[in-house]
Amino acid sequence: MLKNNFSFSGVILLAGFIAGGCAGAGGNDQGTEYAPNMYHSVAYEPLIQITDESAGMWVNSSENPDVGEYYSSNPNNPYGMNMREPVTNTVRRGDFIPYRIPKDSFALAERILRNPLDSTASVVNSGKELFLKFCSQCHGTDGQTPGKVGERFAGVVSYTSAAVINKGEGHLFHVITYGKGRMGPHASQLSVKERWEIVRYVQVLQQQ
Amino acid sequence: MPLKIRLKCSAVLLVSVLFFSGSFHKLNAQAEAVPADADVIAAGEKLFRQNCAACHRIQEKLIGPGLANVYDRRDIAWIQAFVKNSQKVIQSGDPYAVDMFEEYNQIVMPPVDFSDEEILSILAYIKDQTDKLPQAAVTIEEAVDTGAAAEQGLFTGYMNYILAGLIITLILMIVVLVMISSVMQKFLRTRSDLDEADREIIAQRFNLLALLQSRAFIGIVAFVFTAIAFKTVIDQLYEIGVQQGYAPEQPIAFSHKVHAGQYEIDCNYCHTGVMKSKNANIPSPNICMNCHSSITEGVNTGTKEISKIYAAIEENRPIEWVRVHNLPDFAYFNHSQHVNVGKVECATCHGPVEEMEVVRQYSLLTMGWCVDCHRTTKVNTKDNAYYDKLVEFHNSPELMTVESIGGLECAKCHY
Repeated sequence: MLKNNFSFSGVILLAGFIAGGCAGAGGNDQGTEYAPNMYHSVAYEPLIQITDESAGMWVNSSENPDVGEYYSSNPNNPYGMNMREPVTNTVRRGDFIPYRIPKDSFALAERILRNPLDSTASVVNSGKELFLKFCSQCHGTDGQTPGKVGERFAGVVSYTSAAVINKGEGHLFHVITYGKGRMGPHASQLSVKERWEIVRYVQVLQQQ
Repeated sequence: MPLKIRLKCSAVLLVSVLFFSGSFHKLNAQAEAVPADADVIAAGEKLFRQNCAACHRIQEKLIGPGLANVYDRRDIAWIQAFVKNSQKVIQSGDPYAVDMFEEYNQIVMPPVDFSDEEILSILAYIKDQTDKLPQAAVTIEEAVDTGAAAEQGLFTGYMNYILAGLIITLILMIVVLVMISSVMQKFLRTRSDLDEADREIIAQRFNLLALLQSRAFIGIVAFVFTAIAFKTVIDQLYEIGVQQGYAPEQPIAFSHKVHAGQYEIDCNYCHTGVMKSKNANIPSPNICMNCHSSITEGVNTGTKEISKIYAAIEENRPIEWVRVHNLPDFAYFNHSQHVNVGKVECATCHGPVEEMEVVRQYSLLTMGWCVDCHRTTKVNTKDNAYYDKLVEFHNSPELMTVESIGGLECAKCHY
């Protein structure tokens, strides 16, 4: 009876070690997957790239016997990326017309650009929300005293300084789009509409 | 206005000094031309903070040169001309201005429409700061140093004393107990009026082998052993397919603790898709370069890790970040739906990312975990016209959970 007892717990312990060896994620280990064939996308996933062709060979269910189940990399793209850039000269549906004012033409932008959004409460509010997310770490929440990044980055202009307080809305839009001086371009992070909303809120800050 | 009169007086004084001294006059004498009134200094401080402090410090170089003693280096008329329109001075071929422009990477100091008096008041502030700079720096440093040392010493000192006291007390207690027991044994052995059973107890020796072989002991050990093993197996089985705690090493040792924690950069600044698309997105290097164009040295790793961004840009090569959160292919999840429409905070699912050096998967991301939240979370209908009719039909909109509008239907996430 005692012997049985020991061998029983021995079996359970062994099962525990086996389970323990394969389950549980941590560090670089993703842990064990249940039904891995259903976990991994057959289609190209833009934010995943597995270039190892033998990955998942042991569960291979695809028609191609040379490539493992987990392999996910598009050989037609540079560096085997799954992500692709938009086709050149195409415009996103429903967006504004392309912005063609050259990078250093601040005066031109100031002269011809007009804000298509009125200064309504909702525009200013969403401008404020975007400002706090995208601008305040450098320009500070009031647009005058630099934020945490601004202190380290240095050279952050105060919105009320004599150099910029009288600049028009077109100038502000152009600066957000292309950057100016040490500030980088933010066009890839903010849509045209969002940039005009921020312009409205910056003007509110300048009047304070 | 007394301030204006004073400013005018000093301007007149300055002009006369310049006039009489001529261009060969020692520049040091100009320090006297800078006003020293408290009012003027205060006015200058305000102007300096708003217009100059972005690029200039008193002592150290920033974007532009440190301004301490600037009135000794250049004459005041030159400073005024440069502040009003620096490019004009540079283009006139002034060698000092041209050299400085080259030294500071040809960064243009924007022209400012200041009056001469205003520039003088800024100089007054700079002079005031220059004069009291060294002492101030020293005293602040000392105060910080002594404060920190005292606090640390006090804490560790107390802890050590307490620990030592506890250890000594415990050793003393053991010694006393052993002494008592041996004294009692000796005393009982000398007694002759004890019966057989009592004598046996006194003579008793601890028998380890007998204990180990006893049925009860083996039974208890086997039970405890089996129970622990059983629990381990069940726990491990539950972890299959769950990647909570997965924290892969990334090609660049990017620290969320520094960026999101110390510098308080909003998640959305880099993860630009989070409000607009299914994926929150990993930023491409152009977003890194918005700050790292000039911040070339990191808090933790110096230039080692940041230079990898520059290398990737130089070679036009993507940085192969390792994806941390991997939902199974058969489950659909959309960030914008949760963050933009539902106004769920990032930390609700991703945990305290601002404290993580290396990002790890904080939540379970199992179906049970999703469903739990959908059962308890109320739909955020505020300022959302899409829900207006729905709220109207529900008599009590505050009871409208994600579940009640179909958030548990299979095909919402599996299709």
